[in-house]
Formats: sequence, C-alpha cells, structure tokens
Amino acid sequence: MERFVLTPAVRDALVTHAREGSPEEVCGVLGGRERRDGDPARVTRVERVPNVAATPETRYQLDPAAQFEALQTVEDDGDDVVGFYHSHPRGPAGPSATDEAQATWPDAVYCIVSLAEAEPRLGAWRWTGERFDSLVVSVE
Amino acid sequence: MHVTVHVVGEDAHEVDLPDPTYGDLIAAVDLNPHEATVLVDGRPVPEDAPVEHDEVRVLRLIKGG
Repeated sequence: MERFVLTPAVRDALVTHAREGSPEEVCGVLGGRERRDGDPARVTRVERVPNVAATPETRYQLDPAAQFEALQTVEDDGDDVVGFYHSHPRGPAGPSATDEAQATWPDAVYCIVSLAEAEPRLGAWRWTGERFDSLVVSVE
Repeated sequence: MHVTVHVVGEDAHEVDLPDPTYGDLIAAVDLNPHEATVLVDGRPVPEDAPVEHDEVRVLRLIKGG
C-alpha cells in the first residue's frame, strides 16, 4: 500500500483547522512534494480555502477562485500540489458516498480529518478517477 | 471562435466552436459544469454566458461531504 507522509506541523494545522470550523466542514489544498523516484508523497504545507458549499455542516466545496489562488501559490513557491483536504466533524473517518460521487481530480490525494471520536483521525486516499485507494499515513 | 482552454493541472486544448458559451468550453474538454468551472482572470464566469475571451482556464471543482 502506498505511503503518504505529513509533517507534524501539517497534521497539527489540519486538526486545528477542523476544530476551528466545526460543526462545519473545512477544506483546503495540500502542498509539498508529490511521490517521485520511489519516495512517497510528502505534505509540508497547507493552504486553507473557504468552504462555499450551500450546506457546510454536511458538504464542502473549495471556493473556486481561492482554490486557484492556492494552487498558484503552492506552485509559484516551487512546491507540488499533492492534493486536498476536508473535515468530517461527525465522521465518517473515510470518504463518504458523496465524496466518491463528486471526486474530480485524478491522481490527487484526498485527506480527511474526522472529529467523530475523542481523538481526531486523519486518513488519506488517492483518487484514481474511479475509486479511492487507501494510503498509509505517516507523520514524520 | 478559437479559444485556448487551459485545464488547470493538465494540458491546454485548442477549441474551435461557433458562438460558444463557457459551458460549451467545459464540454469541449470532456468535463461537465457540475465538476468544473471556467475562470477568467482567476474568477469563475457563468456557464451560460457567451465566451468573450480567446484564452481561459478550466478548474476542476473540489467538493464532497
């Protein structure tokens, strides 16, 4: 199974954002280094993007203009866009049926922060274009 | 009308269509308005508006629940 690495600072940033936004879902862009030369993808930065979904307590949609600006910022700094994140304030820990039905960016990593349990859970999946493949998340 | 359509994160497409709307450009790159939007100067434009620029970006929407 593919490995996926986050720095401790990124993990903390994702959990903080999720908690600050609860009970609404929050979202953003993950930047760093995409998998390459046998090395796993490594996320070193987070770009928050406003959630403009009509019902943000159960849905998320990255504000398109802010999403584009975040992608440009990551790439202008010489980093790779690794993927995107959003939160599930009340779970599930993995992609919902809505997440699967609405995923659009082939080969991107979708990271989910779930606050359903006492301790936040952070998972990651790579969207193939047809399904989410689970990744092994390492914080290092 | 000839339009260069840059799909963000992917390749550019050269599209020739008669009197297209921005929604027509999305369809021309095999996407639909539920999954993508057209950006002009970094801002989304209505899909039913007539195209007024010869170079645009198409951005895949990131959404779910």
